This record gives sequence, C-alpha cells and structure tokens, in this order.
Amino acid sequence: MHLEKLYGYLGSATLALSLVATPVLANDWASGDDWGDDWEEEEESRLPFRVGGFLEAAGGAHIHDNKVVDDRIGKNYNLAETRVRLDIDGDWKAVDYSLKVDGVADGVDEEFRAELREALVSFEVGERTDVRAGRQVLTWGTGDLLFINDLFPKDWQSFLIGRDEDYLKGPSDAIRTIWYGEEVTVDLVWSPLFKEGNYPDGDRLSYFNPMEGGQSAQPISDNAREPNSFPDDGELALRLATRQAGVEYELYGYWGYWPEPNDLSRVMEGGKAKHPELHVYGASLRTGLGPGLFNAEAGYYHSGDYDNSGTNAALTPNSEVRFLMGYDWELVTNLNVGLQYYLEWNQDHDEQKAAWTSLEQAGMGMKEMAGEEYRQLLTTRLTYTQMRGDLMWSLFAFVSPSDEDYYLRPSVRYRASDELTLSAGGNLFGGENDYSFFGQFEKDSNVYLRARYRF
Amino acid sequence: MKTNLKQLATGLAGGLTLMLSSSLLLAAPPVSEIIEKANQASYYAGQDGRSEARMRIEDSRGRTQTRQFTVLRQNVEGSDRQNYLVVFSRPSEYRNTVFLVHKNPSADDDRWLYLPDMDLVRRIAPGDKRTSFVGAHIFYEDISGRNLNDDNHELLEETEDQYVLKSTPKDAGSVEFASFQTWIDKETFLPVRIEYTDSSGEVYRIMENANIEEVDGYPTPMMMRVQDLNSGGNTVVQFRGVSYDLGIPDSAFTERSLRNPPSEWLDRR
Repeated sequence: MHLEKLYGYLGSATLALSLVATPVLANDWASGDDWGDDWEEEEESRLPFRVGGFLEAAGGAHIHDNKVVDDRIGKNYNLAETRVRLDIDGDWKAVDYSLKVDGVADGVDEEFRAELREALVSFEVGERTDVRAGRQVLTWGTGDLLFINDLFPKDWQSFLIGRDEDYLKGPSDAIRTIWYGEEVTVDLVWSPLFKEGNYPDGDRLSYFNPMEGGQSAQPISDNAREPNSFPDDGELALRLATRQAGVEYELYGYWGYWPEPNDLSRVMEGGKAKHPELHVYGASLRTGLGPGLFNAEAGYYHSGDYDNSGTNAALTPNSEVRFLMGYDWELVTNLNVGLQYYLEWNQDHDEQKAAWTSLEQAGMGMKEMAGEEYRQLLTTRLTYTQMRGDLMWSLFAFVSPSDEDYYLRPSVRYRASDELTLSAGGNLFGGENDYSFFGQFEKDSNVYLRARYRF
Repeated sequence: MKTNLKQLATGLAGGLTLMLSSSLLLAAPPVSEIIEKANQASYYAGQDGRSEARMRIEDSRGRTQTRQFTVLRQNVEGSDRQNYLVVFSRPSEYRNTVFLVHKNPSADDDRWLYLPDMDLVRRIAPGDKRTSFVGAHIFYEDISGRNLNDDNHELLEETEDQYVLKSTPKDAGSVEFASFQTWIDKETFLPVRIEYTDSSGEVYRIMENANIEEVDGYPTPMMMRVQDLNSGGNTVVQFRGVSYDLGIPDSAFTERSLRNPPSEWLDRR
C-alpha cells in the first residue's frame, strides 16, 4: 500500500520532469495554425459602420382559461412573434452613433411593425462631459427588478408575457448629460415629452378593474390621457453619484408623472384616467459586504395631484415612501442567491381607507381595496449555471406577505453556440385576493419558449 | 503516516533533481521571492499596458465559441493595487460589454460589468472568483491574479531552467483545488505551467503560457491555454497588439469608461 503511494509520487515526479524536459512537444497548441486568421478587423469592413443583430422566434400561452382575454382577442396564447433586430453602430469624426431597430411579425396583434429601440448620437463636450441624445434605454438604481428611483419607461407587458428581460426597459427619447467630476458624477436626463409605462392592457394580460369590480380585458390605454404638451409635460431625472472607500452612494431626483394612469377621479363621470404629477427624491448605497454585495435604496414619492375631497382619496394616488434592501452572494460555486426586501409605505392610508369604505357603501368596490398601509415584498433570485454559463437555471420569486400574493419566474437558458440561444420559462401568478398586485394576474399565468439566432 | 510519505516523496523528488542538476547546490532564492517575482512578471509588467485578446473556447465535443476583447491595465503607484478594463467586441452578444476591476490584494476587489442593452452597471459580488470568465475555462481569478497570501508556497525542486513550486490553500474550503504546482521559468520568472490537483490527488486543470516574446522590454506570453481535464474542454487565448508604459491615465479606469470606453487607449496605435 505504502509502496504503491510511493510509486505514485515517483511517477508524477518523473512525469513532471519529462514535461519540463520537452516543452516543445507540449506547445503544439500554441502555434495558432489551426485557428485561421479570424480576428475581427474593424478596418477591414467595407461598410463605414458595423452591422449586427438577431432573429428570434417566441411563443407563449396562458396555462389557465382566461375568459376575458379570450373573449377580447379570441386567442389563448399571448406571445407568438418573430423578431428581426438590426444593430448599426459607428462613428463619424468625434460623434458615435447607434441604431437598434426591431421588425416584428406579431401573431397576437396580427400585424407587422417596426420598433425603434435606439437611435442616438453620443459625443464628448470638453474633458469631463458626455452627451447622449436621441432614443435610448436608461437604467439606474440598485434594485433587482425592483425600481424606486429609476422612473424610466418600463414595458411590464413584455416582461410578464415572456419576452427577453432586456425588453422590460423601454426606450426614452431624451438628452442625457453626464459630467464626471473628480469626486462626483452628475447625471441629468431630460425627456422633452413624458412617456408612460406599458402595463397590462387587456389584449395579452387581463387585470382587476375596480370600476367593474372584477377581472377585465378592457383597454386602459384607450381611456387614459397622457400628458402630451411640449415642453411643459417633460420629465427630468437627476443622479449624483460618488464612491468613498468602496461604497457607492447616490442621490436621485425625478420630476414628472406617475408612469401608470392611476388618477381615476374623473372616470366616474365618464372622463379619462390621468397620469398625475409625481416628484421623487431618493438615495441609495451599494457595497461589498462579506462574500457578497449589499444594497439599500429609498425614495419619497410626492404625488402632486393627490386629492382627499369626497371619495377622491381612493381614486388618486397617495404619496409614498419606498424602500428596499438586498444582499447577493455566491452560496456555493455557480449558485448565486439574491435576496431583497421591499416596502411601500402609504402616507395617507387612513384617508384612502375611509374613501374606499364610502365607495363600498355606495355599491362600488370593497374597502379592502385600499390595501395595506405597508405593502411588503420579498424577492429571491436563484441562479445556477452549468457548462461555464452556457446552461443557466434561474428562479426569481416575488412574494408579498402583506398582499398574500406571489409571482414566480422560473427560466432556463441554453447557449448552444455564439449564435444560437434557446430559452424557456414561465410567469406564474397567484394570491388570496383577485384584486391584489400579483393576485390579479393569476389567470394570466403563462409559459414561453424562445430561440434567438445572432448574426 | 501520510505526511511522512509526502516528506519522503518531496525528499526523493529533490534528490532526483540533485542528480539532474548540479547547479542546485547553490541555494535557490527564498520561495517568497520567487512567487513575488513571478507575480510581478505575470501581472505587473510595466507601469501600465494594453493587449488585444481572442479566446477560442472548445468543449468536450469539439464545439467552439469565440470571444474577442481588448484589455487595459494600470498599476496603482506605490501599492500592489491594479486597475483593469476589458472591452468586448465579439461575439455580437457581448459587443460593447465592459468589465472593470479595481484589484486590491489586501482586501476585496471591486468589479463591475456594464451591459449595454439595458444600460445596466452591475456590480459583481466579491466572492465568486473561481467561476468561468465569460464562458471560458478561464476563471476571473486567472485574469487578474490570485492573492499570494491565500496559499502556502513551497519550493518542490529547481531545475536548470525552472523553479517548481507547490501552493496549498490556507482555507481549503474556499477553493475547488487541493493544491497547485507551478513551473516558473528562471529567466523571465513567468509561470509556464500550472497544474491544479483535486482532493483525490488527480490533476484536473492545467494552465500554460507559451510563445513568450519580449515586448517593450517585458517578456510576454502571446499564447495561453487552460485545459479542464474533468470536462475535456479547453480555452486557448491569443494575445496581440501588446504594449507597455503608455501613460494611461487613471480616468480610463472609472465609471465613465463603462459607458464610454476610452478609444484613445483601446485602439491600436
């Protein structure tokens, strides 16, 4: 036994020596001969710009009968599309430009359409300032799929029906100026015209309609008025960022409108829903802590058009304090865990509750629809990768103990090659009440499949 | 008993070397000096540097993927801290993805990844260093170097051309290897081969440097390979357009470079 071990050691010592003695043989791989000369050469291109993109087929279906949506569109699936993306970027003198456009053949809407994701020019002004102007996707803040100080447009509909997560972020038409100081970065985004978020609108996803007192597939968008007078109805977003001893601190401001049309005060008398005025002031920090990353973020949502006369407290959005904190770490090799706690604190909950009670007495809605004063949410993101990341299993779960509802996003992604990626997943909703934030989408639960070929 | 055998084997290996190389009669420099010099040669050459790289990632079934990127590196004066900026150009999925590292051997590294499609600056948790770097068999830690203080090092043998070191992690639970053995070229102090051994004593991972050329006075490997013997895959990295001591400013390694990579330093000169 001991001798065997000894021979083992001797063997490896000899092997090591022989390897050292014959480095040339071991280095055949280093010739690079079998590789071909396929460095991508920018200057070799015949075009003055670079072209890339992808072709993607995606399909998804409801897993429950969803009568209201079925009645409206006559389909039990909510995703059936082929998408061609064209990315063009280049530079001319000191100006970079970029264009990203999607051509979509959509089997749910039964239409062909073009979607302009990005059309921007970017350039430097002086030593310290970068400007980006045009259509662009914008992101800031520290939450994972939870946004407090990031009020840039979101396409929740795309997110909830199983399009790529990139599509959650809708583009803004904006001018962004970033000044990089020695200590502080000042980031200012001006969108000349307010852009609303894309919410479930009845054509692919139903929702709870307090006016009807039940599940609805009526288009909200037809019945909402967006702020649209230039330049009064613009949006301004500001971020100040600094990093001190490895900790990232940020301050934020937002002056614009609620992304959803949640002022229903005129709807009773046959008017349209509105996007009320919204100012947000917030802060965040992010830092390495132990084996992982800790982040915390807060924002005060000042709802400018809140009205407590009559029953309007139920029909106009309250001011809120929003808060989140999270921790993200690698639990074991290739298994990442992200945990978040999120809170919405309704500032005039008593008034809202009283207003809903009056409405209930008048035969409209229920007093429970005032919700809780503190809406709390827990999220977990579990990501497990295999094959050096080519195969990725993921489960993102939103669970609200106060609303007693949940939203699960299981998914698996396989990167078959540099070109081909296959994805499958689901959006599964449930809850105690059919009017709660996630509970209302129970009948919208869906599964999807996607195949993307990049070129 | 096991330790005794190990000592015996080490002694034997040393004896073998003695027979092969008489120059060993002179004392080798202390281990700490060898690893320090090797670390300098591998990761700290020059005050700063740039390099283009392409990787060919091959799985056990011979299917290949490609990554192409440019790396800028800067040593922070008067310390062992460093900054790295990695800007991807290929494949199209990774185009304009940017990876920024503020390496701090005495604490945790700060690492950020910029994903252009969502305009998202993602900070990477300090923990996960021994996982795949962008799908390659190379780990994050292989790019910016492993902290020398994380392992105990011993000189196994000295040949005419090389030092052979064995490194054993101080915290065995923190890494997937039980030990690794490094062959360091005496002339350049570059590691030419590293073998990682698992707890059953099997070598399961091999890293090699080859085609060492002198660039701006610094010996530089122009090819590198990592073999994963467990899965049967490997990644080959080829470097070109290497240059040192360019005078890259600190500002090239800040948040600004994530959204607006400094083409002045990234473009080949």
